[in-house]
Amino acid sequence: MSNHELPRMPKSWRLESKPHKFCPGCGHGLVLKALGMAIDELGIQDRVVFGCDIGCSLLAWDFFNVDTIQTHHGRTTPVVTGVKRANPEAIVIAYMGDGGGYAIGSQHLVNAAARNELITAILVNNTNYGMTGGQMAPTTLPGQKTETTPYGRDVKEAGYPTQGPEMVAAIAREGAYVARGTIANLKQLTRFIKKALQNQMEGRGFSFVEVLSACPTNWRTNAKDTWEFVEKEMTKYFKVGEIKVPAAEGGETDE
Amino acid sequence: MAASLKAITLEGEKGTWTVFPGLDKGCGLCIEKCPKKCLSWSKTVLGVYGTPTVEANMEECIACGICEMVCPDCAIKVTKKK
Repeated sequence: MSNHELPRMPKSWRLESKPHKFCPGCGHGLVLKALGMAIDELGIQDRVVFGCDIGCSLLAWDFFNVDTIQTHHGRTTPVVTGVKRANPEAIVIAYMGDGGGYAIGSQHLVNAAARNELITAILVNNTNYGMTGGQMAPTTLPGQKTETTPYGRDVKEAGYPTQGPEMVAAIAREGAYVARGTIANLKQLTRFIKKALQNQMEGRGFSFVEVLSACPTNWRTNAKDTWEFVEKEMTKYFKVGEIKVPAAEGGETDE
Repeated sequence: MAASLKAITLEGEKGTWTVFPGLDKGCGLCIEKCPKKCLSWSKTVLGVYGTPTVEANMEECIACGICEMVCPDCAIKVTKKK
């Protein structure tokens, strides 16, 4: 049976730009789906300003039917900070990858957290630099093979992976919301993103959600190994759950 | 893209299962997540990148909707029968 009908997408998604530009099996689609559902549930589509970074995350520039701005190298954090200061009514989202947020743009993330800016940052961690061909990133796991670590990441030479939410939670003030979600648990991820947006709307402080994501193209994994890496390998080093919640709100740990 | 897409709907005992070949990139994430392991590659229909689309065996499908949830492209729509 064949007919024409509408796919079931979050309302804030822009149907004209679908199928989106991400690779088959890319985790960005799932993170943006969770973000879309959170925006729909809160009913804030007309107030959102979405900032995307360089790297694979910039392919989200026409993803939503919301105001979007694209900047380079982690500068999405200060740019949306500026948008928020100029227009406090706006709900701003800084969307970036682990390369943009933890490597070249980490000063922006760290300083925005230290200043307790009223923004929501969403960082997608796929353990490598996806767009440039899968080089070692700050989040590459010890022993993981990438283009620039063909024998696996050597912790003696390259150090240990960055644990971003733990770092941000250590810097951030009371009122900040810091959590780490995973694409393997989309309902939990949607809750985390919704809480992060609510934290900004209620003016409590900086909100940060890191998401464990997949990069089948550069990991060179099939669907089975992709899920195994996301669910088993990554969670050994990156613990899923809420790391810092404002005192006004109850916490939630990994399920 | 057009406002509506070509859809292939399969009817089952527990509900209907729809795939949109114009959105299906053939990543296979849903096949691994299916609790009944009733999804497989289609032998006839191709997706947007020329790879096979997924197909449900409606005799086993319980219309749980996990495939719909894990699809990064929203290429699957599952409707449970009331």
